[in-house]
Amino acid sequence: MKLFSNKTLLALLLLLSGFGYITSCTHENDVLPAPASNAVVINRGNAVLLPGTMTKGDTTQWKLDKAHSSVLWQTNYVGLAGLLTGRFNQFGMHNVTDAEMQNYVGSGQPLMDTSWAFYENDPSKTYFSGYVQMNQANTGEPGRDGGCLLTSFGTTPIVAGTQNLTVTNIARIKTTKVEFDPLSEDYIVTLNLTWQGPLATPLTESIVGKLKYIRRATVNAGTASAYDVFGLQLTFQFNCRDYGVTSTSISDNVQIECNMNFNNK
Amino acid sequence: MGNDIITYIQKLELFGFFSGYCLIYTLIYFLKGENNSKPKLLINRLATLLPYAYALTATLYLGMFIKNISLDFSIQNFQDQFRVPFLEIWALLAVFFWIPLFNKKTVFSLIHSLVFFGFLVQEFFINMNSPVGKEAIHNYMKVFTDSLLLNLTTLALVTFTYFFLLYFGKKRKSFS
Repeated sequence: MKLFSNKTLLALLLLLSGFGYITSCTHENDVLPAPASNAVVINRGNAVLLPGTMTKGDTTQWKLDKAHSSVLWQTNYVGLAGLLTGRFNQFGMHNVTDAEMQNYVGSGQPLMDTSWAFYENDPSKTYFSGYVQMNQANTGEPGRDGGCLLTSFGTTPIVAGTQNLTVTNIARIKTTKVEFDPLSEDYIVTLNLTWQGPLATPLTESIVGKLKYIRRATVNAGTASAYDVFGLQLTFQFNCRDYGVTSTSISDNVQIECNMNFNNK
Repeated sequence: MGNDIITYIQKLELFGFFSGYCLIYTLIYFLKGENNSKPKLLINRLATLLPYAYALTATLYLGMFIKNISLDFSIQNFQDQFRVPFLEIWALLAVFFWIPLFNKKTVFSLIHSLVFFGFLVQEFFINMNSPVGKEAIHNYMKVFTDSLLLNLTTLALVTFTYFFLLYFGKKRKSFS
């Protein structure tokens, strides 16, 4: 220890050990600071969005942008495997009355999409109705869409140039209650789903779903062609066996997602 | 040295047994100072017992090593126990500090331990610049702390045994 005195060595060892302890300090074992609040932060605006008479050019009246909207469905194949998915090509937001349930000649939806109102901060005033044409189900497989699906849905094939809104071909929804979701910015919706399917008469069941409001925003802001858009996304599920669907290719549970986009052009 | 997990664990074991000794050694010699005139002082006695404590640590390591080999008597397992051959053989050599020829010069035990401390410091510099490396250093330092505790424990055990034997040796003499 003449060459390297004990004191020097001790100092060196302490220095290197200290360096090791400081370098290895990852603060991983530190107790995390308590959250400022465990409450869900919900910020809702005061948007009031109404269809009016859907007058073109009136920016206070909101129109359903059907070309950019969709009604999608999905269910587990044979109730066990991956998802079978599809969409409905023809749908609308109209409270279809018995008198309006008929065949219409034309390629577009014959009824105005005016059966809705959305109050962002007052869900008691919010309501909507909608419908789909069941024979317009589109899974991307023509053999299935024009074949077994029609049988499963208890409806008839598409007639070219005709919009079939008869009782056997439409499924309708109509809200009975809309309320705030206490856990998110979304809304809890209670609605009636009416569909005949393969049954002898239409069946109405009360179903609970979730409505999400996609906030109003401006497209082409700052230009002459500026316009506003917003979205409503409704999700719910129902038991297709209640409506007489017996096909074992699909699960009991069918999930529906309605993506409705609106603009004020 | 390979970089797999078994090699890493074996390095941790080696550091855990042997790297802390050098710090305890230098600390005791620092406390002892230059005064060797009072051999009965506890600190002076501790200084002379240090190699025995180190030999006890090495014996514990040898025990663990034999246990690992005895779990599976196969060539593959034997090879697996020697992932860090240089350091492992060097570690096992410390058992010879039980022999007076080797423990007479206490500084040999310091040099033996400094080899492990040197490799530990090398690991700091290899790993210090990456987040994953910092985790590795974190483990090494935990093991280094364990090593300090282990070597303090073995020193305490050896010291206790020494005074125990000394006490009963004196008693036996007084009876005879």
